[in-house]
Amino acid sequence: MWKYFVIFLIFLFSSCSSEDPFNSDSEKNYQSTYSPDNSGDFVIIGARILTGTGEDYPSADVWVSNNRIKSIGVELNYPENIELIDATDKWLTPGIIDIHSHMGVYPSPSLRSSSDGNEATDPVTPHVWAEHSVWTQDTQMPLALKGGITTFHVLPGSANLFGGRGVTLKNVWSRTMQGMKFPNAPYTLKMACGENPKRVYGNLNREPSTRMGNVAGYRKAWIQAENYKEKRSPTRDLKLETLAGVLDGEILIQNHCYRGEEMAVMLDIAKEFKYKVTAFHHAVEAYKIADLLAENGVCAAMWADWWGFKHEAFDMVWENVAIVDQANNATGCAIVHSDSPIGIQRLNQEAEKARSAGVRAGFDIPRSRAIQWITRNPAKALGILDEVGTLEPGKMADIVIWNQDPFSVYAKTEKVFIDGLIHYDHEDPSTPKPTDFELGLLKPEGNRL
Amino acid sequence: MKALIFLFSLVFSFIVQGEGLLLKGGNVHTADSEGILENTDIYIKDGKIIKIGKDLKVSASRVEDLNGKIVTPGFIAPYSQLGIVEIEAVAETRDDRSTVYSSGLSIVSAFNPHSTLIPYNLRGGITTALSVPSSSGLYSGLASSFSLSSSLEGSLISQDIALFGSVSSGEGSRAAKMLLLEDSLDVASRVIEADGWNDEKGLPSSSSYSSRDIIALKRVLSREIPLVVRADRASDILFLINFSIDKNIRLIVRGGSEAWMVAKQLAKTNTPVILEPINNLPGSFNQLGARLDNASMLNKAGVKILIASHETHNSYLSRQAAGIAVSYGLPWDVALRAITSNVAEVFGLKKIGMIKTGYKADLIIWDKDPLEVSAFAQQIYISGRLMSSESRSTRLRDRYLNSD
Repeated sequence: MWKYFVIFLIFLFSSCSSEDPFNSDSEKNYQSTYSPDNSGDFVIIGARILTGTGEDYPSADVWVSNNRIKSIGVELNYPENIELIDATDKWLTPGIIDIHSHMGVYPSPSLRSSSDGNEATDPVTPHVWAEHSVWTQDTQMPLALKGGITTFHVLPGSANLFGGRGVTLKNVWSRTMQGMKFPNAPYTLKMACGENPKRVYGNLNREPSTRMGNVAGYRKAWIQAENYKEKRSPTRDLKLETLAGVLDGEILIQNHCYRGEEMAVMLDIAKEFKYKVTAFHHAVEAYKIADLLAENGVCAAMWADWWGFKHEAFDMVWENVAIVDQANNATGCAIVHSDSPIGIQRLNQEAEKARSAGVRAGFDIPRSRAIQWITRNPAKALGILDEVGTLEPGKMADIVIWNQDPFSVYAKTEKVFIDGLIHYDHEDPSTPKPTDFELGLLKPEGNRL
Repeated sequence: MKALIFLFSLVFSFIVQGEGLLLKGGNVHTADSEGILENTDIYIKDGKIIKIGKDLKVSASRVEDLNGKIVTPGFIAPYSQLGIVEIEAVAETRDDRSTVYSSGLSIVSAFNPHSTLIPYNLRGGITTALSVPSSSGLYSGLASSFSLSSSLEGSLISQDIALFGSVSSGEGSRAAKMLLLEDSLDVASRVIEADGWNDEKGLPSSSSYSSRDIIALKRVLSREIPLVVRADRASDILFLINFSIDKNIRLIVRGGSEAWMVAKQLAKTNTPVILEPINNLPGSFNQLGARLDNASMLNKAGVKILIASHETHNSYLSRQAAGIAVSYGLPWDVALRAITSNVAEVFGLKKIGMIKTGYKADLIIWDKDPLEVSAFAQQIYISGRLMSSESRSTRLRDRYLNSD
């Protein structure tokens, strides 16, 4: 009897002593184990560099030291015997970041047995984490690497109002998801507006079956999260832990939302419950409320031209990204995302579609700005801008060398560095490292390609 | 005022259209054996290309100075649901599927020239499209070709010009699909139209083919129309090639993820391939060998290739796909032909797809290399008529761009 009482006391004590049960130590068990080898020192010389900070150097050098960028500029004071990589006549950009991917959770081949992106059994599933579905041997990942993708954010699907936590991964081959996990990147929470949740649950004759049902669903959940946070309940609740993490500002909201009016409503809900929408995803109608997004400091992650696959994607304009970018004296936060294993291989081309449409509409959008749509801005919206997204001293050396202007359909990557290590080199057929799945697939003695 | 003058000139150009239009000094990409004709004039009258040459001396009522801009034939989409699908997820806007008919499904009566996809894709450079039903099952139905002129009465170019099907989708054994392909053609070959058709003549009871379906198959057997089969796995393609020889039918392969593995056999039998070169994913176990240089490898082996977009709403992205194929080794001029003259030739579309005397004046004037994603069609002509560059999408843009 005493034994149980002691255990009870210990339990009571341990739960009370924890300052913040919502960001409990238990999450530390899921930390990244990614740890790159030391890259040593080298300098990439003579490239045209779009830094992601807005700079466009006609010809400059990047000095990499111990996996980090040491310096960048035109006359760097590097030692004579340092390894040089000649990138004369090439273009150089930060590693490309896709803020909306389902790689690993909707892999190729696309099979029911590994389609693990939508826990479509209840509209409110903030307790599920995309990372627990990731198949690290997804063939899409090395293809994306060849497209310059060094970091990608894996989200659950959009069947649910709250789809679960997203995870940010480095695009490196690993046996484990933890070995890809971006060190110390904040968690995110996927929310979804519109047609998908109301269709999925409406078809089951459940709430939500309408857009107003969607909104009631979000609010009900946030009220529960508020209560949970206030009461500091000793009983853990996985759903409410995640929602409370959002209210505490530690988990970033990534909100699938197409229509202008729905995005405006979501901003009201965020005000009611005092959380921030970090980015609207897909946001086909963002151009209709671009000023509102800029005022509220909310990013919009968009496609260049996808449309028409459902009603809420009917009002697409080629200028969407540019209008968001240029809103309120060019203070908007525009992101070009893929949501597609095809699109992720060429976000540079998607950015150019959007940039050229904007230029034709009369906006002044140089390449140095448009590159931010696929580097700096997604890094910002993922809470990892202090580590990646731009080429600045101290940041991770995630770098892409392109054979020509990356805003051309003919551009290809030549070298892709992640933390200063070459993961793809067009002259080395053993890169990108094939996935386990691809070994001996078409021929026992060969790889997939 | 400027806009007014522009409007007047536009109206004027229509009034005097019959008098002829001279496009002066273009960089003319003919998409035929002539290749590129620099600084060349094109004279157009009554909707047709009358003369092509340097410094043409003709008295046209309207002259456009192109200053070396690139002119190409209007692009032709070899596979789309243009005019038969408005919104994919809205079933009532879809006319591309049927469970009543299979091979006999003709979509001509359903084609909507006022679909919003038409001016939108025209603006992207597509002037002609094959609209293809996409029912699941072995046969999806008959394709027809349409001009993207949005004209109520003048859009149809040619009706029921190819039978489309697939052996690589769905779950039942592919062997059963191959057998059904064989059985259905065998039955069709035995049926004399006058006899009518009943199910006793040799098809599994689970399959249902109407006389309309059988008539379509007979047209394949008589080589009147080609059979276009979606197939990706190399062994499937090889089976189809041999099957087409046995049955003496005209085969076109669509998809062809692993076509590069059987490039020689495709070339030897003159079997064209409709590719989506952008699609390099091993998306299914039929497509494990998908790769971006497929188009280039097929071309090197002598296979005729046609390039399609992977999405109907953006059918015009066939030119981005063509550009990607070029970056993976396909010669530029072949890429252009893959979205113009090859499509016309393979599907028997007469007098379109090239810039050639006597051909339909479906022309596009570009601000730059049209395979670039940033390229913009500055002027689009269908039958020599300057088309509007507006679409529902540009109207939305203009509403919100000017809404301060």
